[in-house]
Amino acid sequence: MNDNSTPTNEQKSGPRYWRSLEHKADSPEFRAFVEKEFPSGVDLIEDPVSRRNFMKIMSASFALAGLGVSGCRRPEHKILPFSKMPENYVHGAPQLYATSMPTRQSAVPLVVKSYDGRPIKIEGNAEHPNSNGGTDQYAQASILSLYDPDRGLNFKLAETEGEGDKKKKSLKVIAKAKVLEQLNDLANSKTHVLMEQSSSPSRARLVDGLKAKGVRFYEYEPVDFSVHAEAASIAFGSSIKPAYKFDKAKAILSLDCDFLGTEESAFENISGFAAGRRVKDDDTENPAEVMNRLYSVEGLLSLTGTNADHRLRIPTGSVGRVAALALKEAIEQADVNAGEIVDELETFVEDLNKDFPKGHAVDGDGEVDTAKWVHECVADLVRLSKRGEKTLVVAGYRQPKEVHLAAMGINAILQNIGETLLLQAHKPSGNGSIEDLAAGFNKGDNLVVLGGDPAYNAPSDIDWDDIVSKAGKFIRHGFYSVDDTSKTASAFIPAAHYLESWGDARTSDGTLVPVQPLIAPLFGGLTELEVLARIASAEETDPHKITRATFEAIAGKGDRKWDKFLHDGFLADSAANTVFAEFDISAASDAWKKGAKKVPLPAKGDLEVTFFRDHSVDDGRWGNNGWLLETPNPVTRITWDNVLLVSLNTALELLGSEAKDLLDFEKVDGKEYDKKLGGLPGRFGFHSESGRFFQKEYNLTISGKKVKGAIWLLPGMADNTVGVALGYGRGVGRVGGAAGFNAYDVRTAGEQHFAVGAKLESADSKYEVACTQEQGVMDGRPVVRECNADDFSAHKDFVKHFDLDSIHHTSHLVKGDDRGYPWEKDRKQDEELPASPYKNNFGGEDSVSAPKLMDIERQQWGMVIDLGTCVGCNACVVACQSENNIPIVGKHQVAIGREMSWINIHRYFSGDEHNPQVTYQGVACQHCEDAPCESVCPVNATVHDEEGLNLMAYNRCVGTRYCSNNCPYKVRRFNYYDYNRRPMGVEDGERKPGKFFNDDNDLNNSPLHPGNKSSNGEWELIRWYKDPSRGSVPGLDDGKKENGEFDPEWDLIKLSKNPNVTVRMRGVMEKCTYCVQRIQSAKIEQKAKVRDTVENLEREEKISTLDVPDGTIVAACEQACPANSITFGDISDPKSEVYRLKRQNRNYSLLGFLDTRPRTTYLAKLRNPNASMPDYFDIPNTVTEYEDKHHGDIFKRKEGKTNGKEPKH
Amino acid sequence: MSDVFPRWTNRLPGQIIFGLLLIGGVVTAGLNYYFTPKYTRVGYQPTQPVPFSHSIHVKQLGLDCRYCHDGVEKSWYSNVPAADTCINCHSAVRADDPKLEPIRASYKDANKPVEWVQIHKLPDYVYFNHSVHVNRGVSCVECHGRVDEMDEVRHEKHFSMTFCLDCHRELSPENGDPNKRLRPLDKITDLAYERSEDPDVKVRDFDFVKEWHVKTSENCSACHR
Repeated sequence: MNDNSTPTNEQKSGPRYWRSLEHKADSPEFRAFVEKEFPSGVDLIEDPVSRRNFMKIMSASFALAGLGVSGCRRPEHKILPFSKMPENYVHGAPQLYATSMPTRQSAVPLVVKSYDGRPIKIEGNAEHPNSNGGTDQYAQASILSLYDPDRGLNFKLAETEGEGDKKKKSLKVIAKAKVLEQLNDLANSKTHVLMEQSSSPSRARLVDGLKAKGVRFYEYEPVDFSVHAEAASIAFGSSIKPAYKFDKAKAILSLDCDFLGTEESAFENISGFAAGRRVKDDDTENPAEVMNRLYSVEGLLSLTGTNADHRLRIPTGSVGRVAALALKEAIEQADVNAGEIVDELETFVEDLNKDFPKGHAVDGDGEVDTAKWVHECVADLVRLSKRGEKTLVVAGYRQPKEVHLAAMGINAILQNIGETLLLQAHKPSGNGSIEDLAAGFNKGDNLVVLGGDPAYNAPSDIDWDDIVSKAGKFIRHGFYSVDDTSKTASAFIPAAHYLESWGDARTSDGTLVPVQPLIAPLFGGLTELEVLARIASAEETDPHKITRATFEAIAGKGDRKWDKFLHDGFLADSAANTVFAEFDISAASDAWKKGAKKVPLPAKGDLEVTFFRDHSVDDGRWGNNGWLLETPNPVTRITWDNVLLVSLNTALELLGSEAKDLLDFEKVDGKEYDKKLGGLPGRFGFHSESGRFFQKEYNLTISGKKVKGAIWLLPGMADNTVGVALGYGRGVGRVGGAAGFNAYDVRTAGEQHFAVGAKLESADSKYEVACTQEQGVMDGRPVVRECNADDFSAHKDFVKHFDLDSIHHTSHLVKGDDRGYPWEKDRKQDEELPASPYKNNFGGEDSVSAPKLMDIERQQWGMVIDLGTCVGCNACVVACQSENNIPIVGKHQVAIGREMSWINIHRYFSGDEHNPQVTYQGVACQHCEDAPCESVCPVNATVHDEEGLNLMAYNRCVGTRYCSNNCPYKVRRFNYYDYNRRPMGVEDGERKPGKFFNDDNDLNNSPLHPGNKSSNGEWELIRWYKDPSRGSVPGLDDGKKENGEFDPEWDLIKLSKNPNVTVRMRGVMEKCTYCVQRIQSAKIEQKAKVRDTVENLEREEKISTLDVPDGTIVAACEQACPANSITFGDISDPKSEVYRLKRQNRNYSLLGFLDTRPRTTYLAKLRNPNASMPDYFDIPNTVTEYEDKHHGDIFKRKEGKTNGKEPKH
Repeated sequence: MSDVFPRWTNRLPGQIIFGLLLIGGVVTAGLNYYFTPKYTRVGYQPTQPVPFSHSIHVKQLGLDCRYCHDGVEKSWYSNVPAADTCINCHSAVRADDPKLEPIRASYKDANKPVEWVQIHKLPDYVYFNHSVHVNRGVSCVECHGRVDEMDEVRHEKHFSMTFCLDCHRELSPENGDPNKRLRPLDKITDLAYERSEDPDVKVRDFDFVKEWHVKTSENCSACHR
């Protein structure tokens, strides 16, 4: 049976893409064929072009082009059909395969969409028991890595060249068989294998097999989450891995645990957290009763911290003391007999208040009693637990295991074990660590490195070079042959991407999931399983068969079971067994006694550095992934770099007297910013010139090692703490090669997560940081509307009291029947719709841009974004980029404000500048019914369709940019350059990683500039003229090889694009289209399915049969969102979810007073603070700002009608 | 002062203007005639590597369009058949005919596809979907002409944007008789069929647009994404 998953031998070697011969264009024969069409001399321009030459050449070309030899006919295009039609294959229809992306200790279950035999879009597998179909940003962007031009293309062996001083060892391309020979004789005790962590049972099986032969295995992950399992195993006596169920928790205390952002499987946590946060129906539910509450204690401002209802700023190293206090409080408040542990805890707890008197400031002035904060927090948790509710206390991976033990102790006291904290049986891998490798590696031993990049990210006190120099054979199996580790290897085996691999993994709940390839390895790479099997000289080296053998050992033999496993993407009922165990107080207490240490407090010259997993590049593995590099960090909104994050006080201390000059305080009424006036500085950076941030660079010195980076002020960080993201400065690849600085250089094995004793010294240099959000505050504008949960029931319509469209201004104006949609005339009263000063009615007589356009018989599309559940993870941003062929523009363009992402998650600070409240709002094209952009387009390129979408016809756009000018939401993006074709990592014809084709030099960007030459000296314009469908990628044009390899960049760019969406060229405006390609596909599918069967139905039934059912069309952003905050659908269908959400009390439209009548509306954010906490704000800070800057008393504070200080639940 | 300019220069401005208008008019007319798809595309009949004759296979032998172009009901793309579809018969019929050599070579070797020259091609920014048209009453003949009578396929219609819009506009109730282009689904591939000559009166007078609730879109999103 020739199903599409296993290509036939013929298909494996043949060209897989067959629309035209252009794809074969790399062959020298074809190039020669093309070049013959032109008279000699045209393609070779050796001297600078003189006017005479130009005229000679261009006139000759014109003669050929139009009226001469080739005539007026369009060029011939070929159709190349299959030789044998693959079964179940319909060209043009997408194929969906279930697979998974393996992560360190779990996996992301996925369904990947494939067109023409190549994967195009990644989506979550909603069928998986633990998934709601959402993914994280890493999974969404991982598909770009498949098409990474810098990935390993060939098998290589190292060769030594030169003599004496000039002796250089470098990798040279060589036949695969020769490299595989190197794997012989490795199955013995002289071989050390260093790998990444994996949950794959197949790999574990192969590893065990090799261990029996004496091979030694080590695992190293620079960001290691195993502390969760280690602590749980101590606390509960057997080998256990904890799983957290956030959906059941009514209150969560996070001890430096960024479970929404950078912990493992954050997308699952987001899904659970959002489920606990969501107010499904604010008419019938009381948010104060249904919403969960999040307390956060941390030193950085992490994603979780920004979503917390109460946040305590404590340096990372000292969170342990807060944990100790919390445990002590829990023991005391819950009246638990815990023996002597209380006395031990005392030593950590003492002086907590003295050391952190100002953990959090209230209203800019007051001080908060840290001990009281913890006391009230635990009181809340205990109260809930006494009521039978479940809570959860989690500690983050950066915290030592003693903190985790404390957290688990509290959970045990609160009776969360088995409910929100599940214990799973876990078999630790038993592999050594990288320190063990360094210690146990002898001269002449063989080293095999599978994946990872230890030369780059090994702790700085491990001498990796020493290990390599001692190695006999150094076999490197990796994704890049140009990274630090591969450069010194003796043999390089290119790795297959997971989308090209067979394998398996277990998700966080233990369910077995397959890793199923969607395409044969593009460059012949091998999977890890195959390498291990070859080392073992196993009979079976085909990873497909290896995986199947593992599966059959678990689930039994049979084609049907295997097929179902591959079809579903998971094995039903294979989740890990829950273990029921009691918290072992004595074991925990012993561990505490032995291991807990009081981390010294950071002080002015003695800062604490916290290393954190980056939200974009992870630990560095996505360092060459343009989508992730360009996706802004959700909290700092910085792209392309890492920075040294410091708090306001730290910054002031560093700068001393220079502070006033450099910190950009707004002038209020011509006077210096005075914080008593309230509000926050408009820009959270340092001095920005015309919106660009040129930050001072500082040298960070710790443990004798130094690294230089740009400094960035992040309010909310603990004082005297420096936050440093890992994963940058890797220097690999043309895209990310120049991004950021390498934090691994200063990170030691003993202090991998935080270290005290750092110094920051000015480096007298400046560095530009590309930050996408200059305006960090809302400044009193009710862009995000918020309310405290306990105020909501008394003020259900609070969203209507803001801004110019508030009912106070407009109640005397038009409302009633004139305002509603046509389909609402018979339905419920439309008083819920925002009243407006204007009389315009979409589709009505007075509508300016869309008179009588809206067709009531058609479905009307609209979207609701729930700000209450959006946590700001930015998965939607990457998903949109993946689905819609949005190009990356490079750091320089982002810095000058030309970012391309269609949806942005704006982040706003409000309140105190040391510990602000943070809100997120995702803004994409609002699809206004009365769109200001439509009426100003001189060529009518942007129009409105009958279903409510604001459309963009790219081929018509001439690039006036008037539409973007007129858009009040500023959601339109313009292609200033041909971003899709700009070669990456090239400047002035030379390779420069991180640069984008003469980016900084605006003069040189034109193809007309004679200075722009391809690598063979050909003038850019001529090269373009010869084949406009090519990019100007040096090396590809003339068949020149770099290091014996063709550069595949141009072909890979073409492969990575979604064929359903137009790829936009220079000069064209683009914006969110509500995924019109998905809408049209769904409509077409419905019509093609219905055909003529509606013939004998009544008219209403005809219409409803042809309508696309609610939930069929899922926009890319909606699909990726793990929190399910985005809902898309038919707003005229009373049964649709969108209809229901738009009738929620919290529903409001952005800038509603402009009467653009956007189809995208928002559900206001509800916060759930605890009134008895010392840092309780009785109304959200943004509302305070609004009332201060404008007027209004939305929650009737001044009348004393808000609730008192009693906690509501 | 004597005359600087000779007399005849008095008429020069008028002549120049007239000349420009004349040239402009001729160029415009020429462009409008010769440079529109109606001229450049209609009649395009390239030589194919295999002289496949639709008139023999469809008219004479009675093959349905969908025997070879089977994807047309399921996707946007109407596929050119793989070599194995041809070999179904041609392994026996004309098994050694040199004209069929490319087919046999392709069947044996997947690296040697038959290089058919594409005739109907829309620009990349146009997204046309076959399945929705074929499944909702638009016959192949409306856009491709009488392929069943062609020995070598040629571009019959002009496929400019107005070609698509004419039909999409017609299908909106305000414009004319919208039913002209639609036919019963079992007659989609019957290219010779004329609805006005259907013996069944009910079919002749059937209001497809109303009964099937055919709603096309005249808006940009119908074809441009």
